[in-house]
Amino acid sequence: MSQTGIQVEAPVERSGTSLDASIVVAVELGSAVLLGAFLLSEQTAIVVLLLAVMGAIFGLLQWRPAFEERIVAAFHDQQQLAIALGAVIVMVYPFFMQGSSYALHLLIVAQLYAVLALALNFQLGSANIPNFATGASYGIGAYTSALLAINFGVSFWLTLPVAAVVATIFGFLLGFPSMRTKDSYLALVTIAFGIVVHQLLNNFSWTGGANGLVGIPAPSLFGHSFTRPIEVLGFRLPSQANFYYLSAALVGLSIIAARRLHNSRVGLAWNALRADPLAARCQGIDIVWYKMLAFGVDAFLAAFAGTIYAFYVSYISPDNFTFLVSVTIMTMVIVGGMDNTLGVIIGAFLLTMLPEKLRIFSDYRLLFVGVVVILFLILRPQGLFPQRARNYGAHR
Amino acid sequence: MSHPLLEVRGLSIRFGGLVAVAEVDLTLNHSEVVCIIGPNGAGKSTLFNLISGIYRPTHGSMKLEGKDITGWPAHRIAAAGIARTFQSSRLFNDLTLLDNVLIGMHTRTKSGVFDALLRPATARAELEAAAVRAGELLHAVSPQLHARRHTLAGALPQADRRRLEIVRALASEPRVIMLDEPSSGMDDRDTDGLMADVRRVMAERPGLSFLIIEHDMRLVAALPDRVAVIDYGRKIADGDFSQVRLMPRVQEAYLGQKAAHHA
Repeated sequence: MSQTGIQVEAPVERSGTSLDASIVVAVELGSAVLLGAFLLSEQTAIVVLLLAVMGAIFGLLQWRPAFEERIVAAFHDQQQLAIALGAVIVMVYPFFMQGSSYALHLLIVAQLYAVLALALNFQLGSANIPNFATGASYGIGAYTSALLAINFGVSFWLTLPVAAVVATIFGFLLGFPSMRTKDSYLALVTIAFGIVVHQLLNNFSWTGGANGLVGIPAPSLFGHSFTRPIEVLGFRLPSQANFYYLSAALVGLSIIAARRLHNSRVGLAWNALRADPLAARCQGIDIVWYKMLAFGVDAFLAAFAGTIYAFYVSYISPDNFTFLVSVTIMTMVIVGGMDNTLGVIIGAFLLTMLPEKLRIFSDYRLLFVGVVVILFLILRPQGLFPQRARNYGAHR
Repeated sequence: MSHPLLEVRGLSIRFGGLVAVAEVDLTLNHSEVVCIIGPNGAGKSTLFNLISGIYRPTHGSMKLEGKDITGWPAHRIAAAGIARTFQSSRLFNDLTLLDNVLIGMHTRTKSGVFDALLRPATARAELEAAAVRAGELLHAVSPQLHARRHTLAGALPQADRRRLEIVRALASEPRVIMLDEPSSGMDDRDTDGLMADVRRVMAERPGLSFLIIEHDMRLVAALPDRVAVIDYGRKIADGDFSQVRLMPRVQEAYLGQKAAHHA
């Protein structure tokens, strides 16, 4: 976890915007189709085949870096097209899910995990802070909003910011004892924090103890309850589509936040802290503050995901927010690629969907997930999409 | 400029029973180069770590332009205007040269987390302007470094790593730059280049001073205005190199008592 290997953008010869545009369209549509096929396939053979295709693609990118550079360059030059097309794909995606509420459910969970992984990425990826308590922040967010909604009838939309603020305060509290520790010791402090939170949720009576909280009311927007299906132009999407769009919006917000922070003085300070804390201090970086800030940002985003999760499943218990959840989130960041927004999201999708799609292996499925993760890490040792160098001015 | 630029009085630090630096007085004036020499393990790097705030002194005081900075944490001392390099150059290896210099500008830029999130245009503009300045700084010190500014610092050869560290130190617009053995691992040509860099940088920035730990006697003889000798944590001599080198105590420190008598 110490030093992440990084690929640097090599100069790539550009050959016309139309080719760039077609590369962007092909990559985005191709990925969408691949994901869709993976989600909707019922047969294990097809799932394994699709995994092999993905593995081959990543193997090819590793084997011939020029392909990757070409694609990255195309996305650079056609950024607006890439964003617009991506947004359209996300908007129309539920219509191609053949009304499968299971596929939508997987997409929602994957998107919430993507947000959690992006949250942790501020710490693990940017600043190399091994925080094993993201699951706890996720839980604090979920419980805060659920308690507010059940006990005081507070609307979902209001609980979102409140839960985020409460979790951020706890994040800073966790940052406090972490100030003087680093590496493995810091990891231990965060593990302890996660366990304490889990135990408290399990034992307080006002959190419902081990039974958790039931009957979290569904949110509604402009009179449309999120329990009702969406009907547009004769299409009828299952009620999960409401939460699909909600979590997609949160992923969008998280991506914007991640990019803005990464390409800022704050992101640079975090990277300095990751590479060499002592040298960072001597550049005038208050590393205590920047560490705490990373804890705060992580908790803030994780709480958003927790709130949406609580209102989506309408029932939460301490077991949704165990140490294992934190470890899963950490694996997503490492497999996806440290400090790379896209990589982290793909890591989250892969690790959410794999265990579900490999259910056919029943008791052995976690073993298979492990094998697949190891295979991907062999193919791409720095994560699926490693960190890339920043761009300034004309070099953009 | 009534105050000296940097004034260190009675600076001491004790690690358990070991007194690593004892009662060191050191004065650095504006536009001055002072070299600190002494045998290995004499406490030179510890003195640097004290001045840059990495260690807290057990006794003594430090003043920068008359302002008491004793016991300040490293990041505040850096912000106050004391920049440094390290003996084993500590660059941010997994970042580009430009990013390394930009991080050096941390104290001269101010966008925080809310600026980055809520006013991205302002934050971005500040960083882009800083990137332009960083490019100019790199170019001024070395056009070769400038040409490689988008590559990773970890791939640089040793002499260029030192250069980049000096550029990173310059980026914070410091009043004092402390170089810890800048010429180690350099051949004579690189060392000449280093001395030329220091002289040019000083000519371009009136008032800037250097404090340099050095072993290469060629550099010590040619570059500094004054030389301070440290031995067993104490300062045993301070003055012009041609005089300091003849002092019996200095010869003893370097050569041993017996050899010094025969020298």
